[in-house]
Amino acid sequence: MFEARTRAARALLQIVVTVLTIPFVFPLVAMVQGSFAGTGWNNYRAVFEIRALPLFFRNSALIASSVILVVYACTMLAAFGFSKLHIRARETYFWLLLAALTLPEVVLLTPLFATATTLGFYDTYLAVVLPLAALQIPFTVLLARNFMDGIPNELIEAARIDGATMARTFRSIVLPLTRPIAAAIIVLTLITAWNDYLLPLVFLQNPDLQPVTLVPQFFVSQFNNDQTKVLAAAVVTAIPEVIAYLGLQRLFERGLSAGALK
Amino acid sequence: MDHEVLAGPGVRAHGAAAPRRGSRGTGQKRARRGRPRVSGVPWILPALVVSAGVVYYCIGYTGWISTLRWDGISPDRTWVGLGNYARLFQDPVFWKSMEHTGVFFVVTTTAQILLGMAFAALLHSRLRLAVLYKVAVFVPVVLAPATMAPVFRQIYAPDGQFNKILDAVGLHDLTMAWLAKPATALAVVMSIQVWQSVGVAFILYFAAMGQIETEVLEAARMDGAGNLRVLRSIIWPGVRGTTLALITLSAIASLKTFDVPYLVTSGGPSYGTEFLGTFIYRMSIPQSEVGYGAAISVMLLILALGTAIVFNAGGRDKEIRRV
Repeated sequence: MFEARTRAARALLQIVVTVLTIPFVFPLVAMVQGSFAGTGWNNYRAVFEIRALPLFFRNSALIASSVILVVYACTMLAAFGFSKLHIRARETYFWLLLAALTLPEVVLLTPLFATATTLGFYDTYLAVVLPLAALQIPFTVLLARNFMDGIPNELIEAARIDGATMARTFRSIVLPLTRPIAAAIIVLTLITAWNDYLLPLVFLQNPDLQPVTLVPQFFVSQFNNDQTKVLAAAVVTAIPEVIAYLGLQRLFERGLSAGALK
Repeated sequence: MDHEVLAGPGVRAHGAAAPRRGSRGTGQKRARRGRPRVSGVPWILPALVVSAGVVYYCIGYTGWISTLRWDGISPDRTWVGLGNYARLFQDPVFWKSMEHTGVFFVVTTTAQILLGMAFAALLHSRLRLAVLYKVAVFVPVVLAPATMAPVFRQIYAPDGQFNKILDAVGLHDLTMAWLAKPATALAVVMSIQVWQSVGVAFILYFAAMGQIETEVLEAARMDGAGNLRVLRSIIWPGVRGTTLALITLSAIASLKTFDVPYLVTSGGPSYGTEFLGTFIYRMSIPQSEVGYGAAISVMLLILALGTAIVFNAGGRDKEIRRV
């Protein structure tokens, strides 16, 4: 966008972008540096000696994959229904779903808490997975429906004329065509579920069930507020996310910025 | 990064939104001719049950709780009508959180737009190592606020890196305990939000700028327009849709703010970083004033829904006028 004809001008632009980037990298540098302060690698040794550590990761993976499964199944079915099938008062249902987009998690706490304790699913994954999926679905349906609107109806009609049932058409024609949007939806849901803090904080009291976002707290109590080890724990929990992003850059960027494309 | 994938295969083939409308139109015509229609209701039912079911059940329940004086557990509940709402409007902490939300929205949105535009324009300018800059700006989007909170507490601590930097550049007089004063604590919370959200603005602007035709840019340069003039007269209007979308998104995100103030400052000191989210949490969980918390929740919902409607209507209006 900017044009730099002279070498000096190019160098100037390069310097400007570098200076602007420094504040973004700085906290990460501070995190890594802080994690080596004091006893150096021993901070990491202390973190890895906590036997519960792999458990936190397993729990995050369990929660995230359950949310992804529920969201993916509900989203694809609903987007197909909204986009291609006959529904009376279709837009009413659609807006009913979209209105839920503005709902913050914190509003769900009290009613969910009361319901979960009454029905006995407090301190189980259901109490975290269900609200996470509920809050994610409106948005992913919006994305997937917009995408499916771009699939020509003739394609679906042709399959029907060839004798395929609607379920078969959906499975063999629609699902393969929607892979790009499905990938964006899965990544977006993965990050939302993996990074969620409030719901596990309130609904998962059993340490055996807690996800990685609760690790800093666990380590604060575990290490008597020894900052260097808490930072080492932060580095250990951040690394898988950074690696996942570096490996799937375009998917992550597309999925996470899909939020504003309406 | 490209929008075409999100827009769907039909759009990719034909180029604009028009063929979509066309294809839906023919579908309806055929349906009217008497082909047996398959009802879509069973298809949308799971999503409606899991999402709308949970959400509206919770909203209804919250509305009912908001008329009670209740600690959330004991069977002892007193109906107080709109008493919680009356209390809310007289609560200085509520007005403080509203004020913080407003300041937070204006500051973080402006920063997101300016920095997002700057990075997008700069990285469209054929610089070296562009990927590295992109990764550096986007990594914060991926990381959990819960993971980064201890890091930021450390950076802004009295003996933290931020004060050390100030010291090193000769601004020793500015060093202080950043999280200990309400005004600076709010600034810290906003700086963390900006750090986490510029990546998304950048990616969106980067994609939007890719859609601006190079012929227009070249023509402007032929007419003698400089970089800043091009930025103001061509790029800025060209990415207007993205800016409007970002403002809407940021308004709702400001109302929803919870993780960063809760984790970094716990809403303090002396309610200096209290937001509606942290206020609801503090009332509902540690203070067990569930009825009052529910009344704040209802207010928050009304505000969020109102914001979404106002910004959407406003955005559409302007869009039409432009065309």
